[in-house]
Amino acid sequence: MTRMLVSIRNLTLRLPSGGRMLTVLDDVSLDVLAGEALAVAGPSGSGKSTLLGLVAGLDTPTSGTIVVAGAEVTRLGETALARFRRDTLGYVFQSYHLIPTLTAAENVAVPLDLAGVSGAPARARELLAGVGLADRGHHYPAQLSGGEQQRVALARAMALDPPLLLADEPTGNLDSATGGAIVELLFALNRDHGTTLLLVTHDDLLAERADRVVSLRDGRVAGERRRATLVP
Amino acid sequence: MTAAPRLAWRQARGAWRHFVLLAACVALGVAALVAVGSFATTLDRTLAREAKALTGGDLELRAARPLDGDSAAALADLRARGAVIVGVRELVAMARGADGRALLVEAKAPDAGYPLYGRLQLAPAEPLPALLANDGAVVQRETLERLGLRPGDRLALGRATFTVRGIVEREPDRAASLVTLGPRVFIAGDALERTGLVQIGSRVRYRVLVRLPERLAARDTREALARRIADPGIRVASYDEAQPGLRRFFSQLATYLGLVGLASLLVGGIGVASSVATFVRRQAPTIAILKALGADSRTLLATFLWQTLTVGAVASVVGAGLGAALQPVLIRLLAGFVPFALEARVEPLTLARGVLMGVLTTLLCAMWPLLAVRDVRPSLILRRDVDAVPARGRRPWAAALPIAMGLAALALWQAGSLKLGGIFLGAALAALVTLWALARGLVGAARRLPRAPWPAWRHGIGSLRRPGGQSARVVVALGAGVMLLVAVALLHEALDAQIDHERHREAPSFFFVDVQPDQREAFARVLAQAAGDDVTPTLTPIVRARLAAVNGVRVTRDLVRRRVGEDREGAFYYTREYALTWSAAPPPGNVLTRGRWWGPEPGPPRISVEEAMAKQLGVDVGGHLTFDVQGVPVEAEVASLRKVDWQSLGTNFFVVFSPGALDGAPVTFVATARTTAAAEGAVQSAVAAAFPNVTAIPVRDVLERVGAVLGDIAVAIRVMALFTVATGVVVMAGALTATRYQRLYESVVLRTLGATRGVVARAFAVEYACLGAAAGVGGTALACLLAWIVLRFVLDTPWHLEPWALLAGVVASVGLAIAVGFLATWRLLGEKPLPVLRRE
Repeated sequence: MTRMLVSIRNLTLRLPSGGRMLTVLDDVSLDVLAGEALAVAGPSGSGKSTLLGLVAGLDTPTSGTIVVAGAEVTRLGETALARFRRDTLGYVFQSYHLIPTLTAAENVAVPLDLAGVSGAPARARELLAGVGLADRGHHYPAQLSGGEQQRVALARAMALDPPLLLADEPTGNLDSATGGAIVELLFALNRDHGTTLLLVTHDDLLAERADRVVSLRDGRVAGERRRATLVP
Repeated sequence: MTAAPRLAWRQARGAWRHFVLLAACVALGVAALVAVGSFATTLDRTLAREAKALTGGDLELRAARPLDGDSAAALADLRARGAVIVGVRELVAMARGADGRALLVEAKAPDAGYPLYGRLQLAPAEPLPALLANDGAVVQRETLERLGLRPGDRLALGRATFTVRGIVEREPDRAASLVTLGPRVFIAGDALERTGLVQIGSRVRYRVLVRLPERLAARDTREALARRIADPGIRVASYDEAQPGLRRFFSQLATYLGLVGLASLLVGGIGVASSVATFVRRQAPTIAILKALGADSRTLLATFLWQTLTVGAVASVVGAGLGAALQPVLIRLLAGFVPFALEARVEPLTLARGVLMGVLTTLLCAMWPLLAVRDVRPSLILRRDVDAVPARGRRPWAAALPIAMGLAALALWQAGSLKLGGIFLGAALAALVTLWALARGLVGAARRLPRAPWPAWRHGIGSLRRPGGQSARVVVALGAGVMLLVAVALLHEALDAQIDHERHREAPSFFFVDVQPDQREAFARVLAQAAGDDVTPTLTPIVRARLAAVNGVRVTRDLVRRRVGEDREGAFYYTREYALTWSAAPPPGNVLTRGRWWGPEPGPPRISVEEAMAKQLGVDVGGHLTFDVQGVPVEAEVASLRKVDWQSLGTNFFVVFSPGALDGAPVTFVATARTTAAAEGAVQSAVAAAFPNVTAIPVRDVLERVGAVLGDIAVAIRVMALFTVATGVVVMAGALTATRYQRLYESVVLRTLGATRGVVARAFAVEYACLGAAAGVGGTALACLLAWIVLRFVLDTPWHLEPWALLAGVVASVGLAIAVGFLATWRLLGEKPLPVLRRE
């Protein structure tokens, strides 16, 4: 069964920059199948991260539509968007974006709290154990290494077991060994839970593991390739 | 929604600085309100509890003439029904010591049985009748000190001599007025006759105190008594309605103090708003992350509201405690003139009210900046270059209305009246707008000013327009405090000037009351001997009388009640004892407002009436007033109305007759004279020795007594105003802390570029001084306006510019700003540049 989870049509985003309009994304159309691991590659400034942000409804495009799991993201109001993000997707950022005043466990518990899940602290500890940080729950982000912070962020993204995981350069700030561990975790999720992965990366190691790689250049789709080895 | 409180609690950790500032702002305001509120309830409670003692009985009858006729009959009936009745006579007279020194005293001659309620505290602790028997006198300590006497010494009153047998420490019913003319001297009721001071035209106050048996209710008995006693000149009051003037005075004092307290809470509100705005701006990245994780604006708003309100509530409780602890201080400040003992007690209701005020102010002031939470875009985590909070958010102006109305409602609640609350709100709004505009002007000027040649000045002035808007907040908060403090100083100064005897060159030093016609020449002689040949008294004839009829309608208790109801001030014109005089020419300083002054030709009796009196009585030119002069009715036509300057400190009259109209009536004279300050003592002694019946009222002394009361009040108000200044300081410290990272970075960059620490410090100083100067100039200007309005429209007192108070306001404000600024930021100067740069 190949159900479409994300459907992007004619997406364009222009932003004011230095007094004139800058086209960040230009008529991008793209589909992501449920259970797929799709990587978006391209040089910096090509609009990859912005594309991811728009899928999460963090900003409004100039034109075009995005439908995720049946919901037309581009037409949702603020409150509905927040609920959509909470229930449908997890998000991992290059710079982790953990809340500095909360401990690792509390950071993981945030989405659980927001969803009103009971027993959030215990569940947060389980999730941390799942990423190998069982004993670091009471540490603050500043007391954790980059790799550890990203693992906390991953645990947080997976807290509510969302169908879609967005990952924006998840290994961008990490050395290759630490990054590799994160990559393993991501794809384990994809494999074991059927979580759809939408990755943004210029890390070849990471891109190679994806089912499909779409490359962006100057805000346009410049090409697409499938992982040949995977074809049965 | 359950997520909100949990998040709120965890979120709070990293922001203790913000919460401390928030708490300080709220706590100071609440402390001020609770201190005043507790003081007010303590006053209320004391007045209620001591009401019978203060009144002297369940009922009090008070008149300027002996109570005989129907009043005596009514009282006899009451006595027959079980009431205890005690007569008391009081008068102002001259007491003389053995060495000839004289002193104006308030003499009191009670009959046996006094006091009916409360305790007369005497030293030695013996019964009053025992001490007063055989020409004994019991006096206030001040009497002894000023006459140079000791217990056992002799003291003369009129033609009689007494032996001082004791000292009165506390007198339960001596609370009728805040300012007394002199200390107390008690003598026995039957001894008063022998002083010779009770005669026709002398001013004795006759009081009858009544203790009712339990079955007689005070109010009903008062009603019945008032119906039987036709003479409206006899005031009949029950204990729960006595001393309305005193009550009104204290409730007004409490209200004004409360408004000053409210001002500090509102300045605290500025601090709350400012602190929350900074907090939201600093929390923007976290807010963006939370939004990206699926938190909606409502949850986040609830989260931050929870935090803020929790801190506000805790701070309010702390502030309430502080205010309660401060109450004894306020009581001690005001104890000097409060004529009864106040006992500090904490009233739960007052505390609750203060806490509620604090929480509501926190809520209302935090709401507006918190609404910015909704404008933090989650895309902030994608692009750091976008502004965290758009400068002009889409905060609905519809939300501003309920917030403003809520704050207005708080002000009205505290003021207790629509009018006073409205004035307060208007003044607060005007002050806010003016100071805000001034601050914006300062920032604008900093932008347009040509570059200063000195680096410290250049950077200091440049810093004024640092984004974040801290300049405006500092100027508003500090300026409000300066305004209150300077306004109080100006008002006090103006009132002091008004009662400063030295400044009233035309004002007499003495009023000599009850000079008999045959004493006139001798009196002038004695005065010249004691004060110098150039001092001659001005003698004005006085005929004492009561108002008998207005336009032919007899003045009865019913008429008074019908015309003015419960209005005491209105009733005063009908029932008071009038001092009438006559004159061929209009009294100097008076202005005719209607009608004409009489010519030299003889005619029927005519009068000139003071404006306000005519208005209250409802008479105009052509109308008639009838006076009862020792039982003889004298009717006169109103020929003119006059405006009288009551503050002139001269001899002023409500009613002046045409010459000849009062011929044959018993006349005494009031003499006025101005002597040097040094001669006053000698004059008083000489006059008292030569004319025991003449009462010499020393104007300077009385004014000083008034001044002392004013001084106490001013100190109390100033203490409350200091709360506002303290809150302003906290707001300033908060605003400076808000920009400390920016400031740190700037100072480090400057130092990296070769600026010395001194240059950076001077640049800071220039910035703080500019803020302080703007607050000082704005605050003092507003203070001038406020003082002028109060003097002109409330106190009807001339306005003097006090350049020193203004200068002090500006200088103190600058000094305070520099001091607070450095306290808040001096540590930045010591930071090592490299770690700071690496952090960026």
